[in-house]
Amino acid sequence: MATMATGLRHAKCAGSIAAAQWRTAVLPRSTFSLAIRSITSDSQKTTPPNLEVEVAASVPIPYQGVTHARVVPATPSYFSREPQFNDLYIGISKLLTKYNHLPTVPPSEAPQMPWTKLEEMRAQMGEPIKASHYAKVMRVAKRLNLIEPSLRPQEVKVALTEFTRDINPFLNMPNPITIDKFGRAVGVGKRKESTARAFVVEGTGEILVNGKTLSEAFGRVHDRESAVWALTATQRLDKYNVWALVEGGGTTGQAEAITLAVAKALVAHEPALKTALRRAGCITRDPRTVERKKHGHVKARKMPAWVKR
Amino acid sequence: MASISLRSLVRPSLPVAPRIQPIIIAAFSTTSLVSAAAPPAIKNRKDLPKKTKKTYKKKQNIVPVKKPAPGERKAFRKRIQLSNNSALPVAGLDALEAQTMARAESSGRMFAVPDEVVDQLRALEAFKSTQTWNLFRKPHVLVRKETVELMGRLEASLEKKEAFKCYQCQDLTNGNTEYSPVPDTEPMQFTQPVYCLKLLQNIYKANRAVLEKTPLKQDWSRLSATLKPGSTLADLALSAKESEFAWPTLSALWTELTQPGQPPVLLTLDGLAHINKVSAYRDPAFNPVHAHELLLVRTFVDALSGKTKLPNGGAVIAATSQNNTHFHPSQELALSQLEAGQAGKPVPKPDPYERKYDDRVYDALKNSTVMRLEGVSKEEARVLMEYWGASGMLRSVLDSRVVAEKWALGGHGIVGEMERASLITMRM
Repeated sequence: MATMATGLRHAKCAGSIAAAQWRTAVLPRSTFSLAIRSITSDSQKTTPPNLEVEVAASVPIPYQGVTHARVVPATPSYFSREPQFNDLYIGISKLLTKYNHLPTVPPSEAPQMPWTKLEEMRAQMGEPIKASHYAKVMRVAKRLNLIEPSLRPQEVKVALTEFTRDINPFLNMPNPITIDKFGRAVGVGKRKESTARAFVVEGTGEILVNGKTLSEAFGRVHDRESAVWALTATQRLDKYNVWALVEGGGTTGQAEAITLAVAKALVAHEPALKTALRRAGCITRDPRTVERKKHGHVKARKMPAWVKR
Repeated sequence: MASISLRSLVRPSLPVAPRIQPIIIAAFSTTSLVSAAAPPAIKNRKDLPKKTKKTYKKKQNIVPVKKPAPGERKAFRKRIQLSNNSALPVAGLDALEAQTMARAESSGRMFAVPDEVVDQLRALEAFKSTQTWNLFRKPHVLVRKETVELMGRLEASLEKKEAFKCYQCQDLTNGNTEYSPVPDTEPMQFTQPVYCLKLLQNIYKANRAVLEKTPLKQDWSRLSATLKPGSTLADLALSAKESEFAWPTLSALWTELTQPGQPPVLLTLDGLAHINKVSAYRDPAFNPVHAHELLLVRTFVDALSGKTKLPNGGAVIAATSQNNTHFHPSQELALSQLEAGQAGKPVPKPDPYERKYDDRVYDALKNSTVMRLEGVSKEEARVLMEYWGASGMLRSVLDSRVVAEKWALGGHGIVGEMERASLITMRM
């Protein structure tokens, strides 16, 4: 910030700086007869005094209406290391001073903004922005974002767009699952290589996986329990019927894909269960997959056995 | 003195003087023999003393362990344990009686199996080692809705069921028991003497009371000299001591049982698909033998198809399941057609492109009635789980949610799977 303060210093006390910098004005010599030797030796004054006034009027007086001796930069950040960024900061700082009195909302209720990342901002502006400076600027921007959305002035909205990305990933929401006219909610879940679709209806606790009962579909009791875990964890096993289609992968993957699918469809029926399901681990997709094989390795990590020549 | 005089009279057989043999006496020396012995002569490099590597490993203390006798391990694996003293006795359950299963009000209740019935069922190998009888104090059974329905039908066909035969037909056709051809048959038929002998003994053990009371109607003295005109069926069953006479005796017993005036018969069989396939046996020309050419199977199939009449009433029950089975197109067709006909739905047509239809199988099955068994209902599952709880096997609180969960995990109420989900993988 020291740089910025330095940058702003001359803006604050422009007068004194201007005074200090003011070069003493040296009037150029007049170009008229005073300096020209006349041929005639007689010192008769040919020019009447009114003529002098005329001449003086015809010579333009320099620096009329000029307050600065040189071109003053358009922005006070001109001499700073990060002028554009500095401008941004000055802009929103002024806005914050201006609108500091407006009521705010708690951070959890503020609109979600896709804030620009540091790297992105560096690339945008082509300036070596310091991370600490960036953090300070973002703090101001986030404070402005806390202003009650209905009372937010237009200029604040415009200013904040400078700090957001063009694409808002928070708008990229999945389509909400609806319950169709038969009372079905369809959820899709994935795990490893498996994909499952679960059709959940209100019922009596019958579960069919690919048209088979749980015991026919999964040999391991553990897998059967995972498949219905979303219902068991929320104590809804005897309230819904599930008809699931699952393909790809192995038994564990299929069972856990069904868990996710059933959980999503269940949330469509009862949105209030979402937190309980999240705590039960049925909402977040497990991103782990098979690690790719590398060259020089037998598998992902395994190295070939050492052979003596 | 007398002995001396006697010896003097006897001529010595070997006239050997006692002192003629040389007496070897060690030469006098103060050093021991071992130290005196010269070291072996070294003739080449091989005779040089060799360096032996010192082993610091202690020799393991090998305790002689008795290895199990041949067949002991298998017997242990296949043993059937019907009681468990650690389980709590369940009070307040009625015992099974003759009419209990047929009564509608006993549907969905647990009953204790009386000891004599347990013995009979054990003799018939009705208990299996895969079932979890060993978790409970005493064998109890759940009477299902379908049980009542089946027993009602049995009641209609006979007044009092008397004799059982029970086949485990997988053993009949997988080539694991001995077989021998019946002479002068075309196509060649086969008997399974060892299996027949075992079956006869099982029939005798299970139905001894009835067999001992029933006299023979025909003269079977050609089978055994002990069979007099007044003998009973028990004597006939016991007359086969050797496996060669097992099949003639068994067929004689079957002939007797199908005579009018004898007790009604219940024939049961598990694993229907196994007796409808081509068996693992070969005839002398090394052609595969159809299972219906095995006379024991033939007897059952004739009874099932109605070719052999049961004049005294009785029932023939064959069971098949989705486990331990194989797809048999004719059997599937016959069963699906029968089921559709019973339900009043359109009867499925045979597939014109299917080549593996077997008319013998189709004809054997086409006159029967089909009853599809699913898992137990939730109410029955609850009764069963209450019994588990009373036995101390189920520790969790038993409410409708738990019942629904185990019912779903057990594949919609399959008892064995429910046991797997709740008892065997017990989490205390």
